Amino acid sequence: MERDRFIGQLRDIVGDRNVIFHPEDLLVYEYDASIDRGLPQAVVLPADTDEVSRVMALAYREGVPVAGRGSGTGLSGGAIAAPGGIQVSFTRMNRILEVAIQDRTAIVEPGVINLDLDTHVRRLGLRYAPDPSSQRACSLGGNIAENAGGPHCLAYGTTTNHVLGMEVVLEDGAVVNLGSLARETPGYDLRGVFTGSEGTFGMATRIMVRLLPIPEAVKTYLGVFNDIESACTAVSSVIGHGIVPAALEIMDATTIRAIQQSMDAGYPEDAGAVLLVELEGLLEEVDEVGQEVESALWDTGATAVKEALETSERERLWSGRKSAFGAFGHIAPNLYLVDGVVPRSRLTEVLARVGQIGEQYGITIANVFHAGDGNLHPCMLFDERQPGELDRVIEASGEILKVCVEAGGTLTGEHGVGLEKKEYMPLVYSQADMDAMIQVRQAFAPANMLNPGKIFPDGVPHRPAARRPDPTMSV
Amino acid sequence: MTGSPKEQLISLLGNDAVLPEEDLAPYAVDGLEPDAVVRPIDRQGISQVLKWACSEGMSVIPRGGGTQLNLGNVPDKVDLVLDLSRYGSRSPDHRPADLTATVDSGITLGVLQQALARHGQFLPLEAPLAASATIGGLLAANTSGPMRYSYGLPRDWLIGIGVVSAQGVETNAGGQVVKNVSGYDLNKLYAGSLGTLGVIVEATFKLSPVPPESRVLAATFPSLLPGMQASDSLLQQVFAPQGLQVIDGHAARQGATVNANLRGMGTANDTRGAVVLAFFAGRNRAIRRRMDDATKLLREQGALDIAGLDGSEGTGLLETLTDLGWSGESIPYLGLKLSLPPSAVVKLVNQLTDPATTSDEQDPIDLEPLSLGVVADPGFGLVRLLWWAQGADDGQSPADGRIAATISRVRDLSRRLGGSTVVEHCPLSVKKGIDVWGETTETIDIMRRIKEKFDPARVLNPGRFVGGI
Repeated sequence: MERDRFIGQLRDIVGDRNVIFHPEDLLVYEYDASIDRGLPQAVVLPADTDEVSRVMALAYREGVPVAGRGSGTGLSGGAIAAPGGIQVSFTRMNRILEVAIQDRTAIVEPGVINLDLDTHVRRLGLRYAPDPSSQRACSLGGNIAENAGGPHCLAYGTTTNHVLGMEVVLEDGAVVNLGSLARETPGYDLRGVFTGSEGTFGMATRIMVRLLPIPEAVKTYLGVFNDIESACTAVSSVIGHGIVPAALEIMDATTIRAIQQSMDAGYPEDAGAVLLVELEGLLEEVDEVGQEVESALWDTGATAVKEALETSERERLWSGRKSAFGAFGHIAPNLYLVDGVVPRSRLTEVLARVGQIGEQYGITIANVFHAGDGNLHPCMLFDERQPGELDRVIEASGEILKVCVEAGGTLTGEHGVGLEKKEYMPLVYSQADMDAMIQVRQAFAPANMLNPGKIFPDGVPHRPAARRPDPTMSV
Repeated sequence: MTGSPKEQLISLLGNDAVLPEEDLAPYAVDGLEPDAVVRPIDRQGISQVLKWACSEGMSVIPRGGGTQLNLGNVPDKVDLVLDLSRYGSRSPDHRPADLTATVDSGITLGVLQQALARHGQFLPLEAPLAASATIGGLLAANTSGPMRYSYGLPRDWLIGIGVVSAQGVETNAGGQVVKNVSGYDLNKLYAGSLGTLGVIVEATFKLSPVPPESRVLAATFPSLLPGMQASDSLLQQVFAPQGLQVIDGHAARQGATVNANLRGMGTANDTRGAVVLAFFAGRNRAIRRRMDDATKLLREQGALDIAGLDGSEGTGLLETLTDLGWSGESIPYLGLKLSLPPSAVVKLVNQLTDPATTSDEQDPIDLEPLSLGVVADPGFGLVRLLWWAQGADDGQSPADGRIAATISRVRDLSRRLGGSTVVEHCPLSVKKGIDVWGETTETIDIMRRIKEKFDPARVLNPGRFVGGI
């Protein structure tokens, strides 16, 4: 049978043990951390670039679409296989190949876990700055595909600002090198446009990243507020003082209570909102700026300002923030997460609109977000067993995205368009704008064999199944 | 339409927008004088010109302030220069609370910085001749300056872009927000594409607050190598400066012709010497700590003299260094830009200054009677090699063959060190025989396909980019 022959060829390339094709084994590969589903016909786990190249060449000849998969923590369906497609999983390609201390660079395989890289280079006095909240699980290859963000991107930029180059396998199996360890490479910035291409241009098989020195000092503040408006005003005030902290994160009352129910993160349960502010730099810098931040928080109506005096205290404050999504399970069985971005100055009014939309659709919406970047994460908490609730959630999320775009913002700040937001792309881009993007994809992947059917609207409405809050899920 | 190209353009955009024939000479690119120069004042005009040029099979050379026009290969043909210096009279849409601004591409970097400074913010990018360099030109040519170590490159600050395509259609990518993964990041593609994919008409940037204070340390060393070694050591410290340049005596002497501060460095009479310029910015106590610790380290590392300069002197130095090699007298006979992994910069300097360490029998860089100036950015990994004619020796220039051989030797050297070399300045006769961007790699096929998709008729800057794109 056709499929057996194809599976046999895949097994010839990567070894029998490294092709998964029994339906019951494939189930875990049917979804990622989004609410999308798609069962691949097989999952291949290559060991090196050569195997990736041969797998891709085979799939290309056979006309089988391919999706790359890192750790499956993506939130927009980037790792979901197209109908009839296979997944190339990078879990076996997880070596840190090289760290150059003086150059502050590292070369890694795509399956290396974000936090493992950071932990490894910290022993050498360095750090990898982009820190998506799923960093304990997510892979560097996936980070590149989605141009992952994280709380500390406020000061340091997102993944794209930290990727210097990559070895890439194209859809037909050809291997090319984009960028380099030198900061400038003559020609178009292909590694720049590759980053964030959601697995539609090629598979990164070796990744060169920039590292930063560990700052001498860190200061973390928790500002407590009566309401989310004051917390947003505090954000504007900090920025208005000419301060760009390493991170500025807001959590609303619903989020605070959900987190405190699952752990004691040190957030006052009666607070209307809390604002986490983190400063990094020289001792003198964080000292001087810290005083300004403290007064900015008090001036904008903080009811308490706590400084984490010990590392354990700082870690506790952050651990609450990073576990928010799992904690929502205390409130409702299902969760749908929106990733809209607005200009910082519009945060207050857009959050008010988000609240109204929640009321209008009868959905509880919790807010926990990267306030400094204007990157909202409205979390819709619901129960899919209630008839019609999922439909209302999907509709409400569309309304929220429209509000974000009308306020000068966009659909997604760090999760990607993938399957779930592709039909909303015309809210932000004209057909000509999208045509230009598609032309670039055609230059990388003329046959469109990689992650077809994602990012761009094709009239096939996205109809997701609901998803339960999961302790491993994070943003 | 009928009539000469000039007549047709006049009927499209009016008399004011088309330059008279006698004024065309200064618009020549690599000696090729255009048939016409058109200066639209708005996007509609830019779009009309491109539609027309595309349908007529004319090539178009977009031009901003004209400061980087010699960058790139000799164009295949120069039919029409699209001068964008009159486009951009709209004042910047600066949103201080968002730390972002949207500008027309024809505005100069200098004017933009002045506007942003009114709210205590700035765009952390540099370009030679900032008073005339336009934002569109800065983006297309991917300029940077002495602060690139902490600022990064245009790609790091550009968050949204408006482009008129070769067919005259306006498209946008990115947006006004600092985090955005809606669709492909075409900002990255356009930044540094030398106007070969579209004419940039609008740009949105992230901004930064102006640091409350800035200072400079200038430390002299007996020669380049100890200066480089001291710099490498300084850059590894927590108190490292935000920008650092090492310049040799020849470069310092050239810079001193416009900046008196470089005259007092004890190098004017000894071109073998070197100056380390460390730029600090931030709040008062932090700057003092950085300066104190850095001074101590540089002294331990063998600095001869160390001087502290205040903010305005520092600004002047930054400008001098950014413009070095691009303004008037300082334009070199041959100018190469090498991009390298940072740790390779000292290796390069070592090999350049000590020919015994190279495998070549021949001194790789000797171009007598030209004198070589070195400007190195060891933190970022960039070196500029600038060969100037000594004033008195004018008229005696090295043969083209020797220049081409030097380019090729430096290229080999940079490639062995993991980097690349771009020829920024060279005699036209040499330029005609080389690709200024160097040898192409396997990525050229993807690049060619992108160009083919965006500009199949090769209207925009034909031949000027890598591999003759």
